Amino acid sequence: MTDLSFDNWMTQLRKGLLELAILNSIVAAPLYGYDIVRRLSDVDHLVITEGTVYPILSRLKNSGLVETYIEESQEGPARKYYRLTPRGRAELHRMNQHWDSLHHAIGGLRKQGKR
Amino acid sequence: MMDMTPAARQQLDDYLQRLRSQLRATRADVAEEVEQSVREHIEIALDDAPAPVSGTDMIGILDRLGSPEQWLGEEERAAASGIGHSGGDDSRLPYVAFGLVLASIVSFMFFGFLLLIPAMFVSRAWIEQKRERGEPLGSKRWLVYPSIALVLAFVALLLVLAPPLGAMALVRGYVAQSFDVPADPAGELRFDAGLRAVMFGAWWIIAGALCAAFIRPIRFLFLPLLDRVRRKHFAVLSAIGALLAATGAALIYYRH
Repeated sequence: MTDLSFDNWMTQLRKGLLELAILNSIVAAPLYGYDIVRRLSDVDHLVITEGTVYPILSRLKNSGLVETYIEESQEGPARKYYRLTPRGRAELHRMNQHWDSLHHAIGGLRKQGKR
Repeated sequence: MMDMTPAARQQLDDYLQRLRSQLRATRADVAEEVEQSVREHIEIALDDAPAPVSGTDMIGILDRLGSPEQWLGEEERAAASGIGHSGGDDSRLPYVAFGLVLASIVSFMFFGFLLLIPAMFVSRAWIEQKRERGEPLGSKRWLVYPSIALVLAFVALLLVLAPPLGAMALVRGYVAQSFDVPADPAGELRFDAGLRAVMFGAWWIIAGALCAAFIRPIRFLFLPLLDRVRRKHFAVLSAIGALLAATGAALIYYRH
């Protein structure tokens, strides 16, 4: 695979995985936007440009998968927190199951290739 | 609002302009929400940067955010523009609040400014509703701000001026007996001015400390006007109070 097509493949993969990553980042506790970006940035190659996260968050909210609330902060401006809705939690469960099964299937294919 | 150099301000304005241009095709509330989130990101990211924020610090943050042209691809814009909005919004509340402000002005002869109080509560209810949903206030904020600003300005003036004026009325006679008040009008005026300055200064020191200690209830009381106010701003009030009290004490000391 050439560098150009590898980059394209990475871009497509990233695009598909970002929603899953964002939803998983707020599964344990609500986070504000900047915190979500920081956590996702810790995952290698997942977030190339931090701004990418915000339109996706807006879309997830409009889809009813996440909801927001504002909380005052002692350290600065009030922060908008994102949390999963019950529908978002159910959808994330399905997405994680699908991801696990895909990961398992790809692993199987790789094992077959090595034989 | 962040304190920043003209160069940093220019970079931020240019960036937000490009972002708005990219968001033009999306629904207004979505565009506003994304812009608000990006602003919040920039503000938090620059929280620890030395003030005023330099152009170098600003460009570092904007580089990490990436160009809006890059991250707001066609697919994202199409998705953002087409999705319905969940939840209802009682958009009449700002108009009711503004109507009450106008009614309060028209009926001033009969009710004074009493109608401003329900106007403020209606305004705050709408702001709370929008905040709970994490939605930006949008241009309708200009319909709700007048009632809030007028009532809270009155409350703030009352809190800042009433206690020292009340204390002054109570203690003036006692203090005049304890001190040797000059008989000449100029000396008496200096003494009174000094006493007032001490009273106001002492109250502002206490008020500044109380506000800093109870910043959350104070922010809630003055919602949304003090959202960006921090403890250090109340320290300024205490410092002004200390300066005023010292000046007043000097005036009393050198009253003759």
